[in-house]
Amino acid sequence: MTVLAVARPGMRPWRSELWVPVGAVVVALLGGLALVAAAGVALPAAVAAFADGAWGSAYAIGASLNRAVALGFVGLGFIVAHRANLTNVGGEGQIAAGGIVSTALCLYGGAASLPGPLAWIVPLTAAAIAGGVWGSIAGVLKVRIGTNEVISTLLLSFIGVWALYGCVQSTRVLRQPMTDSATLPESLEVPLATQVPALVSGLDMPLHAGAVVLLALAALVAVVLARSLFGLRLRAVGLNPPAARRAGMPIGATVVIAMFIAGAFAGLAGGFMLQGEQLALKARFPSGYGIDGLVVGLLARGTVKGVLASALLFGFLRSGGIAMELSAGVPSAIVLVIQGLVILLLAGSAWWLHRSRRA
Amino acid sequence: MPEAGETLLAIDGVGKRFGDLAALDGVSLDITAGEIHGLLGENGAGKSTLCNIVFGVLRADAGGMRLGGTPYRPTGPAGALAAGVAMVHQHFSLVGDLSVVDNLLLGQARGFLRRAEFAAEVVRLSETFGLALRPQAIVDDLSVGERQRVEIVKCLMRRPRLLVLDEPTAVLLPAEIEGLLQVCERVAASGCGIVLVTHKLAEIRRTAHRVTVLRHGRVVARSDAPADEIDRLVRAMIQRDLVGAAPTLRAAVGSASAAPAAATAVGDVVLRVEGLGLRDASGVRRLDNIGFSVHRGEIVGIAGVEGNGQSELVAVLAGATAATEGGFRVDDQPFANGSPKALTAAGVGVVPEDRHREGCVPAMSLALNLALSTLQRFRRWGLVDRVALAGEARDRMRAFDIRAAGPEVPFASLSGGNQQKAVLARELSLPGLRLLVAAQPTRGLDVGAVEAIYAQIRAAAERGVAVLLASSELDELLAVADRLLVMYRGRVMGECAATAESRPRIGAWMAGHAA
Amino acid sequence: MDTSALALWGLFLGSSLRLAMPMLFAALGELVSERAGVLNLSLEGMMLMGAFAGAMGSLWTGQPLLGLAIAVVAVLPIAALQAWLSVRLHANQIVSGIGINILVLGATTFAYRELVGHRSRVQIPGLATWSPPGLENVPVLGAALHQSWLLYLAFAVALAVALLLRRTAVGLAIHAAGAEPAALDKSGGSVPRVRIGAVLFAGMMSALGGAFLSLGDIHTFTEGMTNGAGYLALVAVIFGNWKTGRTVFACVFFGAATALQFQLPALGIDVPTALLIMLPYVMALLAVAGLVGRQSPPAALTAPYLQPGR
Repeated sequence: MTVLAVARPGMRPWRSELWVPVGAVVVALLGGLALVAAAGVALPAAVAAFADGAWGSAYAIGASLNRAVALGFVGLGFIVAHRANLTNVGGEGQIAAGGIVSTALCLYGGAASLPGPLAWIVPLTAAAIAGGVWGSIAGVLKVRIGTNEVISTLLLSFIGVWALYGCVQSTRVLRQPMTDSATLPESLEVPLATQVPALVSGLDMPLHAGAVVLLALAALVAVVLARSLFGLRLRAVGLNPPAARRAGMPIGATVVIAMFIAGAFAGLAGGFMLQGEQLALKARFPSGYGIDGLVVGLLARGTVKGVLASALLFGFLRSGGIAMELSAGVPSAIVLVIQGLVILLLAGSAWWLHRSRRA
Repeated sequence: MPEAGETLLAIDGVGKRFGDLAALDGVSLDITAGEIHGLLGENGAGKSTLCNIVFGVLRADAGGMRLGGTPYRPTGPAGALAAGVAMVHQHFSLVGDLSVVDNLLLGQARGFLRRAEFAAEVVRLSETFGLALRPQAIVDDLSVGERQRVEIVKCLMRRPRLLVLDEPTAVLLPAEIEGLLQVCERVAASGCGIVLVTHKLAEIRRTAHRVTVLRHGRVVARSDAPADEIDRLVRAMIQRDLVGAAPTLRAAVGSASAAPAAATAVGDVVLRVEGLGLRDASGVRRLDNIGFSVHRGEIVGIAGVEGNGQSELVAVLAGATAATEGGFRVDDQPFANGSPKALTAAGVGVVPEDRHREGCVPAMSLALNLALSTLQRFRRWGLVDRVALAGEARDRMRAFDIRAAGPEVPFASLSGGNQQKAVLARELSLPGLRLLVAAQPTRGLDVGAVEAIYAQIRAAAERGVAVLLASSELDELLAVADRLLVMYRGRVMGECAATAESRPRIGAWMAGHAA
Repeated sequence: MDTSALALWGLFLGSSLRLAMPMLFAALGELVSERAGVLNLSLEGMMLMGAFAGAMGSLWTGQPLLGLAIAVVAVLPIAALQAWLSVRLHANQIVSGIGINILVLGATTFAYRELVGHRSRVQIPGLATWSPPGLENVPVLGAALHQSWLLYLAFAVALAVALLLRRTAVGLAIHAAGAEPAALDKSGGSVPRVRIGAVLFAGMMSALGGAFLSLGDIHTFTEGMTNGAGYLALVAVIFGNWKTGRTVFACVFFGAATALQFQLPALGIDVPTALLIMLPYVMALLAVAGLVGRQSPPAALTAPYLQPGR
């Protein structure tokens, strides 16, 4: 099965068709606007609030880009695994795993005392590894027993998210010391040394170094997928596992590595979210980034450029939505409506697009 | 039931296109009640397409049909069944984890299932036509022949006016084929019309009342007395004269026995199989104490009806499955749980039975497929050297006459014959090739491609490669191989020279009788 | 055991059943759908729509029964959308499921805010409770079995589903649609019709389960109140190995795990709630890892059926 619908032999890939996702986004946005109008809110005020929150100030742009970066990481991991026909639905849990490990190392693992940039690089790496391990569990299950990775990553996701909840509930684990009964269930703030540095100092712009790391990794992923032996193996395993096995390719290892990579990227996203933005581990830490990242990966139709574009779209959508709620009184739930519409429109359109292009 | 002799189905000028390809063009024929009508043609002539149109799976682009005088345009199997047309497909559609009774009830029953009553009726019906069935057995546990009987009974339960059988004997033993043909005669005698689709002339000679020959989607010949006119029909099928044609050509058409191949000099043992045994995941014994050897420059054929262990043997030799007992040696190097990679390194090339499943990745390019098992040769700093890859692909295309627009086209865009040539090219080009194992290498190919494949295989043998050829086309094996081994139920029943005189012994072994 | 301990057991049993109920409906519906080959990740969204529509319906009409009916009707467009996307358009079933969940969450939250107001908790006329006759005054069981009548409906439906799948022609068609759709097609059956029907059934059942949350349990609506119950129902089907009896057991088991979250602290036992919440997922993971017997999902699950040529 391809990303959005079933591919039949003889169909050409539709990578060049940009107008379908763009069209879907436009229609969804219009639908959202219609809802806003139906709610009785003046459209200009709502749109202004949205724009302000999304890109209206340096701060807003920085925040939006940070969100996009986190989504971009999850999306990159998703498309790598998807090359091998593996669908990683466990982003939330992998982000949680990354967040837990990162917090633990920053607060209690002595990462703060590491020299220079290592103080924030090491916990990030550990977060990536944690996410990778979490993802590879599903890979191992698939190779050993044939378990559908959609089901196993979904289950692991819930377990990861609730594990995080448990960690911040208990002062014996990661919860901050309770001074009174009103102390929130969160961790302490991570030390300054372990926080990811901002890219632009001086301006009130919180964009952190994650953006650079994302772009570098994106380029690497693009090359690996298109030109490397590993990328070809991913593709062969995804398209025809028995043939890949006959050709001597290590299928089991490829599957596990692919799932590890998907999880590692999500774990890294969690690390950046913690050390770059939120700075303390809270109960609802993944807050939907795993799911949104999955959607980013699906919309990207397997290309790195697609991931970056979709991540930007959703990052700005999120920020704008929050602002719309605060300033114009439009429930931010409307962003969810728009997202849902985009996904459904794309899922539905994939079919007739393939049909009309069948020779 | 209509009277015998009355026209049941009239097909008039039917055409069907798939994109640029005209699968059928202006096909007209008629089936009368009580007759067994043979639909003859090579692989790819359009027989299955026509049947699918009759059964409503496909819709004709041109022309029409009349059933019992009224226009007949089924929109799906449901419509066809309701009109009294039933079809036994080449690939069975049975639900494996249900019982025979449940499979027969599917699509027929309403409301609550009355299994016991139904089972009794099934037994009665199957005895009428001579088809032995076990109603409570689970389909997954049945043999191929039994499963086909279930499919047939499923059709007969609907009391069809017209029954279409698509290549039904491909999976049967010689004795079972006789049984099937008798069933056909009984069904026809009851007034039903039968369309028997086949490319095997022996069956036509035995049972068909009339024959229509298809070639490249058109009707090229008809006959009211096929048993007397076999040669004319064959000529029409392949448009060439058989006398003087290459042995494999004649063999591919399934006609008279072919001339024996010239004896070639034979060298040391390359492949030695010793005490090889295999039990599958459910504990069923698939291979039983197999032992034989193949020498340099020799072509050894493995004959036998499909489903008697040939596929499993090839899978073990290809490293896809691990043997449970014994093993084999390639050049004295032992392999029991050979990995495909190790076997490739030892010089073993494999042309698998189902190239789409194991032999290639259809969506990837021709160049990539031609180098699929040895991609690491093109690695430069972790990346794959596309230019070198394409260059080598072009060399192969020239050497093996693979027709395609270029090395970068998707493998799936090649015709079946060219795809098989490509898979063979890849395996024959393995550096240090010592042994070629080919399973059903000519299945689904037209005669030209069959010729080309065997020419390459013979050339490889002359170069000193040891060849093991598993095929259910006995005539082809007799024409190409030096020696034959016959398998039955996972055992090697016997070994003999690949000549026409061995036929009776081979037949007996194929049916499981020690000769 | 003394009476207070007995009372606690009764309470525990009652809570387990009550908490299992929404899952039970949704899981039964999903069982039928998955046996026919369609995986509905949108269970969560369909339950939420049922909860929302049931609450709103009851609020407007003042009649909880009407609210229930409105819930079932309101979910049909969503179920139809999922069915159409998965069966006719051959869309990726995971994508459409997630899309619907997000859409419904956003739409119900938005609608609730607009219609009722920001984060208010309005009291809604709720469903009556019922006891099996004669058992009302039995010591432990009586309290436990005094539940909303929907529970008994759920068990009745479970029996009906089991019977349907094993003994009827429809059940056979459903089995074939999920195991070997080509067999159903070539026998003259209609794979799309069976699958669409199964998805609609799953939708209606999810609506009932969701409506129970707002009408039978808490008597109000809160945003996103299903809170993962739909996914838990999915997990119950997996853990139940796609068999009716085991799925029902799984739901009750998961309900008990949830009940423990409240019961154990009351008993003074300090088990982190996170562990208890995680328990169903861990159990299901062990099941799919093959540690709780062989798993046998329908062979064609999540695979769209492409009718050749048509």
